[in-house]
Amino acid sequence: MSDVLRAQRLSKRFGGAPALVNASLTLDRGDFAVILGPSGSGKTTLFRCLTRLTEPDSGEIYVAGEPLHGLRGAALKRARRRIGVVFQQFNLIKRRTALENALMGALGRTPPWRVALGRFSRADVEAAEAALAAVGLQDKMRQRADTLSGGEQQRVAIARALTQKSAVLIADEPVASLDPASAEQVLTLMTDLRNARGMTVLCTLHQPHLARAYASRLFVMRQGRLSEAPVGSMETAAEAPARSLSL
Amino acid sequence: MLHRPSAHESERRIWARLRFAALLATVAAFYAVCLHVSQVSVSRLAEGLPRLMNWIARGWPPDFSGLEELLLRAGETVAIATIGTTFGALIAAPLCILAARNVTPGMWMFHPARWLLNALRGVDGFIFALIFVAAVGLGPFAGVLGVMLHTAGSIAKLWSEAIEGAEPGPLEAAAMSGAGRAKVVLFALLPDVRPALSSITLYMWEFNVRASTVLGVVGAGGIGQELKNSVDLLAFDRVFAILIIILAMVTLIDAVSQALRRRLL
Repeated sequence: MSDVLRAQRLSKRFGGAPALVNASLTLDRGDFAVILGPSGSGKTTLFRCLTRLTEPDSGEIYVAGEPLHGLRGAALKRARRRIGVVFQQFNLIKRRTALENALMGALGRTPPWRVALGRFSRADVEAAEAALAAVGLQDKMRQRADTLSGGEQQRVAIARALTQKSAVLIADEPVASLDPASAEQVLTLMTDLRNARGMTVLCTLHQPHLARAYASRLFVMRQGRLSEAPVGSMETAAEAPARSLSL
Repeated sequence: MLHRPSAHESERRIWARLRFAALLATVAAFYAVCLHVSQVSVSRLAEGLPRLMNWIARGWPPDFSGLEELLLRAGETVAIATIGTTFGALIAAPLCILAARNVTPGMWMFHPARWLLNALRGVDGFIFALIFVAAVGLGPFAGVLGVMLHTAGSIAKLWSEAIEGAEPGPLEAAAMSGAGRAKVVLFALLPDVRPALSSITLYMWEFNVRASTVLGVVGAGGIGQELKNSVDLLAFDRVFAILIIILAMVTLIDAVSQALRRRLL
């Protein structure tokens, strides 16, 4: 199977109220899928169920053909390494440097004693440095995360996912906390990474114009129901002219 | 929304007032009982005051003879508090992880951990010291053990609360890298809460120096022992000197602790 991420009939209720109803999607390698929907429509619930940060009531999730649903303990941890995540609030460790935050992507494969001593493997440190260079932050590697701007912090979060070398990148409203210029920068970066590395990206957004500009596939979320919409005549990221980074 | 009839509304208001009046009456009754039980008596205070004034007058000038011995005892108090706080913190470290809702391995560990730390915290270090004097004999070591156990409970409680207040986001991000609890705690949680945990520890140290001044009363070492001896001998000039030393010591430790805590933030 060539699909990188597949969800089948995911459902979740919160205290009786359905938040997610039979959501299914299948992403192939290189897809830049956008889930568009107003806040409260269930996008974040879908994101949290796909990553199993929230346990779905029912449904199946496959990452690179391997099941994620039903896994527990060590198996779940191993499977999660294949999913890179970017959160709306960046979720960096504020008092750690950009480099240490990028290294967090290697946390899953690093033995606890190395974590305790802060001695990550040479290869992982190099991977984190390369990831920060790829997001344009090679000059800010030693800076504490809470001294970076919002856009920079979100780029560190993307570097974290790159260090993780995951099969898929799932981003929940990655630009909702950013100013318009930083938002474009982050989405352009995600597009570039997808183009350059064949990464598969799933990204929730609530602004139609951004979805139009960047999506190669479009899903719409309404009241917990997910449906794919034709990108059709929409100007997609692949066709879009390169966007200036110096906005 | 349903529209509530105003009659219903005023009825509810009357009930609310009645409840408030009942609450006031209960509090007043509780105070009355407490005043009676604790035998508060203005007349006895009035009788005792002249005696107290007389003692204070006899306390001047303070008797600082053998100052070296007094300072040694004060140092003993600081040492008891320091070692007791350190060992208490070491015991608290694993306990606070088990007792913090957001990082506990499970409720089957959470509840016993909470019970244990509440038990440790519920018994004052002074009482623990009293028991340890019987077990390991007179001297500062009994004081160290007493301070240690009470501090372990207190620090674990405060630490686990600080941990529960940590932002969940970075912990989730760490978990999504495939890290287990130990690695999440070490890498993502500790840097976030370290200033708060250190501040709590310094505060407990400061508190323990103050609390340890009385340990000598039960024979668990420190300056309190000298204080008790002097009070027993009605040597008020000596008592006065010791109180001055205690005040100086506590003020110094508070200043050091506060300076260190300010640097953490």
